[in-house]
Amino acid sequence: SLLTSFTYSKKKRLLKTKQRSMAEDQGAATAMETTAVEKQPEAEAAPSVPKTKRMMVAIDESDSSFYALQWVIDHFSNLLMTTEAAEGDGGMLTVVHVQSPFHHFAAFPAGPGGATVYASSTMIESVKKAQQETSAALLSRALQMCRAKQIRTETLVLEGEAKEMICEAVEQMHVDLLVVGSRGLGKIKRAFIGSVSDYCAHHANCPILIVKPPKELMTK
Amino acid sequence: MEETKERKIVVAVDESEESMEALSWSLDNLFPYGSNNTLILLYVKPPLPVYSSIDAAGFIVTGDPVAALMKYEHELVESVMARSRTVYQDFESEINIERRVGRGDAKEVICNAVQKLKADMLVMGTHDYGFFKRALLGSVSEYCAKRVRCPVIIVKKQPQDN
Repeated sequence: SLLTSFTYSKKKRLLKTKQRSMAEDQGAATAMETTAVEKQPEAEAAPSVPKTKRMMVAIDESDSSFYALQWVIDHFSNLLMTTEAAEGDGGMLTVVHVQSPFHHFAAFPAGPGGATVYASSTMIESVKKAQQETSAALLSRALQMCRAKQIRTETLVLEGEAKEMICEAVEQMHVDLLVVGSRGLGKIKRAFIGSVSDYCAHHANCPILIVKPPKELMTK
Repeated sequence: MEETKERKIVVAVDESEESMEALSWSLDNLFPYGSNNTLILLYVKPPLPVYSSIDAAGFIVTGDPVAALMKYEHELVESVMARSRTVYQDFESEINIERRVGRGDAKEVICNAVQKLKADMLVMGTHDYGFFKRALLGSVSEYCAKRVRCPVIIVKKQPQDN
């Protein structure tokens, strides 16, 4: 009957997948053993601080990114401290802020005819200055948090599309861990983390740590 | 200076190579010397197909297919645990390692486990699906990263740098 044939074909399919995955497992197991053997000398040599770890934390104006920064400082301070670690050893924390680009060709719709007004040079300058001031304020706040725990820090300001610039910076600077906060967009938070952290989780070449703010900050 | 709080770190493993890499990464980086963290290895078995119980219409399922499936599942669990063992055996003496096995839909089980265990951090690998497959199949790491309350680390395959 129909029912019996359906169940029989399902059994056959399951057995086939079992054989395939067993073969895969064996192949993978041998591969794992070789990598495990390679790892051993490293593990024995350095039970404490591993080689220089470069961590990058992306911040913006949101509180959740500063929460992420504070979390990193609290939890990874033993890897990043400057006091005991020798000069070459120890890690480096890079705080990066990406400014959204100011499109000076963007249309400032004025008038009913939709005539675009090109931003005058003084306007461009004042906006650039305002942007620089905000990023300087953010970065100095970040630096203060890091200096309090004596962490070796450097700051970086990039301009452009936030998610792309972060991933590019990760590649160029050979970052070992990227840390991002997550905004949690209210009721929609169940659907998105936040486009930047989502994009970076997929496209960055290094492990990514997503720090969620606790409930109290979520309401922002 | 800082309190050495005991932290629970859940690492989700499956049959893929990437999750083994996630495990070794977390062992290297999240367990500095002298910390008191617990590593919880979580492996989720795919749900057991229940067709055997729905069968009616005069086709009696003998014990053999079901037994074969259970055996296959058991072997799968053992192989994954053995592979993770080769990764963490260097660290066994220094840190507490717990192993847990769950069953069902991987993303749900991982989220529930993290909540129940009140884990402080979750580490996962990613299947590296690429754009289309990810859109169609859905990704466990994405789902968990969105739902879980604690910080999440997603470990990717490192590009070979010479």
